[in-house]
Amino acid sequence: MHRGKQKNGAVRMRRLRLRALPRAALLLCAALLAALHMSAAAAAPTEYQVKAVFLYNFSRFVDWPAGSFSAPNEPFVIGVLGADPFGERLDEAVRGEQVDQHPLIVRRFSDVAQIGDCRILFIDSSEDARLGQILAALDHHSVLTVSDVDGASERGVMIQLATQDNRVRLRINVASARAAGLTISSNLLRLAQIVRSADGS
Amino acid sequence: MAAASPTIRRTLMRMIFLSSGAVLALTIASFCTYELVNFRQSSVQQLRTLSRAIATNSTAALAFDNPADAATVLAAFRAEPHIVAAALYDAGGRLFATYPRGLPAASFPSHPGPMGYAFGHSRLTGFQPVVEDSQRLGTLFVQSDLEAMYARLRLYALIAALVIAASLPLAYLISRRLQQRLVQPILALADTARAVSDRHDYTVRAGRTGIAEFDLFTGTFNQMLTQVQQSDGKLQAQLARLGLLQHITRATGERQDLASIFQVVLGSLEENLPVDFGGFLLYDPVAPSLSISTLGVAGGFAAKLGLTEGLIVPIDPNGLSRCVAGQLVYEPDVQQVPFAFPQRLAGAGLRSVVIAPLIVENQVFGVLVCARARADAFSSGECEFLRQLSEHVALASHQVRLYGALQQAYNDLRQSQHTVMQQERLRALGQMASGIAHDINNAISPVSLYTESLLEREPGLSERARGYLVTIQRAIEDVARTVARMREFYREREAQMTLERVDLNRAILQVVDLTRPRWSDLPQQRGVMVDLRTELAASLPDVMGAEHEIRDALTNLIFNAVDAMPGGGTLVMRTRVVREREDAEDVVVEVCDSGIGMDEDTRRRCLEPFYTTKGERGTGLGLAMVYGMVQRHSAELQIDSAQGQGTTVRLTFPAYTASAVASARVARQPVTNRRLRILLVDDDPLLIKSLQDTLQEDGHQITATHGGQAGIDAFIAARQRGEGIDVVITDLGMPHVDGRKVASAVKQASPTTPVILLTGWGQRMIAANDTPAHVDKVLSKPPRLHELRAALAELTESAELVS
Repeated sequence: MHRGKQKNGAVRMRRLRLRALPRAALLLCAALLAALHMSAAAAAPTEYQVKAVFLYNFSRFVDWPAGSFSAPNEPFVIGVLGADPFGERLDEAVRGEQVDQHPLIVRRFSDVAQIGDCRILFIDSSEDARLGQILAALDHHSVLTVSDVDGASERGVMIQLATQDNRVRLRINVASARAAGLTISSNLLRLAQIVRSADGS
Repeated sequence: MAAASPTIRRTLMRMIFLSSGAVLALTIASFCTYELVNFRQSSVQQLRTLSRAIATNSTAALAFDNPADAATVLAAFRAEPHIVAAALYDAGGRLFATYPRGLPAASFPSHPGPMGYAFGHSRLTGFQPVVEDSQRLGTLFVQSDLEAMYARLRLYALIAALVIAASLPLAYLISRRLQQRLVQPILALADTARAVSDRHDYTVRAGRTGIAEFDLFTGTFNQMLTQVQQSDGKLQAQLARLGLLQHITRATGERQDLASIFQVVLGSLEENLPVDFGGFLLYDPVAPSLSISTLGVAGGFAAKLGLTEGLIVPIDPNGLSRCVAGQLVYEPDVQQVPFAFPQRLAGAGLRSVVIAPLIVENQVFGVLVCARARADAFSSGECEFLRQLSEHVALASHQVRLYGALQQAYNDLRQSQHTVMQQERLRALGQMASGIAHDINNAISPVSLYTESLLEREPGLSERARGYLVTIQRAIEDVARTVARMREFYREREAQMTLERVDLNRAILQVVDLTRPRWSDLPQQRGVMVDLRTELAASLPDVMGAEHEIRDALTNLIFNAVDAMPGGGTLVMRTRVVREREDAEDVVVEVCDSGIGMDEDTRRRCLEPFYTTKGERGTGLGLAMVYGMVQRHSAELQIDSAQGQGTTVRLTFPAYTASAVASARVARQPVTNRRLRILLVDDDPLLIKSLQDTLQEDGHQITATHGGQAGIDAFIAARQRGEGIDVVITDLGMPHVDGRKVASAVKQASPTTPVILLTGWGQRMIAANDTPAHVDKVLSKPPRLHELRAALAELTESAELVS
């Protein structure tokens, strides 16, 4: 659905442009634009494009504890801690989307103390050094922690996005998620590699 | 049952087979359709459920771009062998994963089609969206073959075939039972109908079948039979009445009188219709009343009613008056009718009465009364029958009348024919007789004249000679009378019959004497004895009549009596005087024989001319002549006779009274003393000679001439000589110039000279009263001397008076 809406928006833009053109050039331009669009769609998405979609998709496959929202229209916050590898891509991915009537928004944090009621927190590799502190700070918070740092799941990050054979694979530390009171869909778990914490917790 | 037309059995079986087959086919078809639809729905449902599960399981694979996992999820379709192909498309519509493994991508649609499930070419194809938390992640394509459905259809076909195979014999059995139940009553009904038509027995009835429609049918059929039976009964009754009518008509046709027609009709009605009482009454329109003509004899009702034939029945204002007005009257119960005749019938125990008029030419001439002891006993058919019967009877009686009239006319005609024939025969006989008489008269004239002359003028005659001469004279007179009688055959009536006093006793004795050879001599030759006795009354008065006619009549009666006694017997001639009238006596002559007598028919017809019982011997004129004589004498004739009882013929003459015939006595006139010159004209020399001789002896001077012309010449010559002729006596019938011409010539020359005409037809002339002109006296031949003398005296005296 989200993709469809995007596509519709693109068509609407094309139409606006096409109206400005002389009618004689209409077919040629349409054909050219269609070819460009096709080649752009056919081109493989970039790594962070995929990861942005994955971040957004986690909101569908994970259940947060009941009563974690204080108001019905309280936004569902996806946070990025550290340097932002996504840029506009993450914003594009979540624009206009909702999770149970809670509008999705993206916030970027430089410090873990800032995150507030963030639901999904992507911890950039730039925070690799402070990962232990961050995770400790997030203890007892119902925040789904996601990171693409190697071995992050073994270190306590709930979902690690690992790149393997040019594909993004999931490594999930179920124990961490359960400790945070989160329930991960079995569908998702079936796709992922289940990881235990290195400290045995 | 004809082979051509289908039987009810076959039709019924076909109907049952067709209907049960149709029901079966429809049931199977609807069942199959239902099962098919149901199966398709359940197939779709099943596939949808399966697809949903697969789609739900494949959300994460799509969301996190894991085709391997997607293929693993699709591999779950292995559990369902009918799934022949499945594929996942991502949100962009690109093929993401396929099942079964190894199937080329070309086998799948390049893009997902519209959501939903559809049956295609032996495939069920479905597109199921893959959604997670209302986010569309991709599309699941599923294709299932329909082998399961086909397998089920095969199973259904097998079941249907089994059901049909099982139900057809069942249907056959049921149809057999049904057709038995349906056809059996029809066949029974057909048997009944055939029995009715074969035997014409309309009393049989079709039985109940227990099926409402058939019972309705048999009920109607039986009702029809009842009607037919009634109609047949009516028809039979009608036929019987027709037969009776024909019988009566034939019987009446054989009868010729009203009484026997009525009797045969009543007899037939009482026996065959039947009625308890019947009677015919004749209508008198003048009185008006009805008189009983003929009554039926059955049941003795006539006696109970007190009715006898000839009794007059007054006409009631109600029933009988309507009937004599021409209507048929039916009284169903006469006890309710307050009139005399119905009450009389009711009193005798009769209740219902039909009175039918007998009508001929629009006139009621009688009524037929039929009655029965039961009330309301006459049906309308019987009334109609009686009406027709009365018409027939009326017609028959009319024919009887016509027949009677015809018979009368026929008898009259035959009588006329006989009379005409008789007259014609008598005329011929008369003509012949006249000629004979003329010749005989001429021939015996000299005998008569000379005999008379001799007796008068010969004093010296011996007694014997005188006796002979007297006999000769009587014989001549008889001859002359016989000749005269010959003419009576054709003479209807003697206009101037000379009546004289006749002593019947004397006439009877003469006749008995004359006929002796017939009643005495001839029978004795055959050894038969006829005893003739005369019982003659003393002092019998004379009667006025012609004696020779009376003698002839008596002669005929004696001949008849003798002929009636071929074995002999007694014949009595009887005379007596009766005084039945106050002022006059009658003389009765009876001729009684003890012969064979006459039957009624003969007695009735014996007076008819030419009617004879004697065959060739008889002329049939004897009694006819007697009857003619009786009529001419104003007498009466009575014949008493019966078969085997003898016959008495009674003639009753009025007795003579002095006043009756005062002029009959003729005074004998004196012979004239004068000597006369007489011219005698005749063509018969013998007659001339005898007349000349006898007249000369009387002293007359005779000039005899032969023939008329000679006589005329002699008369004229004598007058020219001045001798004069006192009297001319001329014959009538002469060649060339007859007596009339002679008389005419004489009178022309000397009108005062008397002319006496002598004629062999003299009596006829007198009878016809046609004395010719110029003739003063007609004398018949043979001339009698005393007549001649009288005539001469009369004529010369008158001539003298004149001169």
